[in-house]
Amino acid sequence: MVIVRRKDLSLLEKLYLPEIARGLSITFRKLFEKKITRQYPEEPLPTNEVTRGQPRLVVKDDGHIACVSCGMCEIACPAYAITIDGGETDRAIEREPVRFDIDMLRCILCGFCEEACPKDAIYMSNELELADYSRAALVYDMEKLKRPKAALQKRIDYVYRLNNRWRKSSSTR
Amino acid sequence: MTKIIINGREVEADPKEPLIHACHQNGANVPMYCYHPGLSPVGSCRICQVEVKQGNGPARVVVACRTPVVEGMVVDTEAPKAHETRRECLEFLLKNHPLDCPICDKAGECDLQDYAFAEGQGEGRSNEPRRKLDKRKSLGDVIVLDEERCILCSRCVRFTEEITKKPQLAVVDLGSRSTISTFMDRPLQGNYQGNLADVCPVGALTLKAFRFQARVWNLKKSLSTCGECSRGCAITVEVLRRKDVKRFRPRYEPKVNNWWMCDTGRFSSERHNATERLVPAARRGSQGLEIASVERALKQAAEFLSGAVACIGSPFMTIEEAQSFAKLCSQLGAKPAFVSPAPSGLKDDLLNTGDPCPNRRGLLELGFEALSPAASRARIAAAPAALLAGERVLELCERAQLAAIRGPRIATFDTHALEGDACDVAVGIPEQVEKSGHWVNIDGHVGKLTVARAAPAGVQALTRSLDELRALLTSSGVASR
Repeated sequence: MVIVRRKDLSLLEKLYLPEIARGLSITFRKLFEKKITRQYPEEPLPTNEVTRGQPRLVVKDDGHIACVSCGMCEIACPAYAITIDGGETDRAIEREPVRFDIDMLRCILCGFCEEACPKDAIYMSNELELADYSRAALVYDMEKLKRPKAALQKRIDYVYRLNNRWRKSSSTR
Repeated sequence: MTKIIINGREVEADPKEPLIHACHQNGANVPMYCYHPGLSPVGSCRICQVEVKQGNGPARVVVACRTPVVEGMVVDTEAPKAHETRRECLEFLLKNHPLDCPICDKAGECDLQDYAFAEGQGEGRSNEPRRKLDKRKSLGDVIVLDEERCILCSRCVRFTEEITKKPQLAVVDLGSRSTISTFMDRPLQGNYQGNLADVCPVGALTLKAFRFQARVWNLKKSLSTCGECSRGCAITVEVLRRKDVKRFRPRYEPKVNNWWMCDTGRFSSERHNATERLVPAARRGSQGLEIASVERALKQAAEFLSGAVACIGSPFMTIEEAQSFAKLCSQLGAKPAFVSPAPSGLKDDLLNTGDPCPNRRGLLELGFEALSPAASRARIAAAPAALLAGERVLELCERAQLAAIRGPRIATFDTHALEGDACDVAVGIPEQVEKSGHWVNIDGHVGKLTVARAAPAGVQALTRSLDELRALLTSSGVASR
């Protein structure tokens, strides 16, 4: 057992009112200082290219989705959030997804899909908010996931920069 | 048997088989592209090179698929020289092979991909562009050829020459312009085209039906037996997301089908994705067929199944189901029979027997009687009550004509029952890919079925339904005879 002795108060402290005045002076001073709270959600969180938000699909500049539905992200996903069905196209790249669902309730924002993608087609965007009225509405389909490449360009550049740091010079040249 | 040494271990090798066979038998994983155990070896890909030492001679690097086994030969599959040679061969093969793996259907089961990954040389040394060729060349209704991916192993050419004995493919043009083509660009013919996609070691020949349908690592594979004819080819059933049957592929079974299967059987996988199923049972009420519980349906069936009941089974019944059916028949005092449709006309010299009853021999050995669809219907029409059991039994008895029979009360056990079908009670049963059991093929070989996909919730096995019906009949006083 530990006996904690209360601090003996001095006469000034025992008088009570001076201490109240001292406390309120701090309160009033803070009222006029710069505020550090954020009015979320009116004022969104600051994000940058390092922010690992929700995964989004890249739409290339020619208007076609970059994904070829190879299934790498699907198999890399530790939360089984991704479901892909492939289909045929007439373009030079013969394959594209006909269904690309990410169950955002399952997604743990780990970024493995981004790492696994061989086609630069899925990137972690800076979109963080996730709220809706039903579970079904949070299974995002392809149309909800598509983003123009320009919107994700900062993240793409960042990932390339990050990877280049570890890339060894070619052993065969 | 010949004694040879593979990787320092003395092993027995079959002198009739090439060296690569002995290597694979003894755990030495020599890669192979042009060699296929079912086809003659040609040694065109050169990827199976191993180091061989005979007597006092120097160690030489030879292709294992074209080297006969000789007494006392010392084989080292991982010798630095052999390994280096294989690596160089791989580099040449990858020179023109496109980096298509994310798109290619073969990815995941591709020998070239596996070995390239194992070797781990990520970058090529060539500055020349890869060959630009036709990536979507249609070869008939079944196969599509990607010329860029082809490594000219000629397995497909040898398949049409040696297995189907109807040469249709050839390597045309010379040198670096070589491609695979049919003669005069005619479409491929025959009932064995699907095997070309299986023998292709890369993704050059792929099935149109399977094109971009699934990634192979997502497919759950279960061993099974094909039910399209009485040959009963050993197959693997591949199911995507526990739901869609995506592929039937042949499974090596030397007593039945070796490595092959016919297209009729291969593409019968589509039949198992039918959405209309009877879950779990139905009985005829005032509004037509009404969904009911299995228990209720069986109870109603037990009420009218007595006297001279016509018992017609399906040739798709497994041995186990047939035994339950036979027991039920003997309780009802009926002779077990199965409906045996006319030959399909697909009979050929290779595998297809043209007989659409996969378990004919098994049922005949159990004492079943084979009845033509017309004879089956005649027997049903003559009886006051009838019992039809087994997958596709309504279809094989010719639905429309069966429905025209008025009079007998019919209890049906089938995968689905339509409104107009002849049945007072219908009980849903699992499909071929949803049940386990055995079929006996035409030569007496027992083929196994395993559950590749769960039956719809509530649907119980045919054996169980039949046994429960038998118990109900016993309790209601239909004596066991």
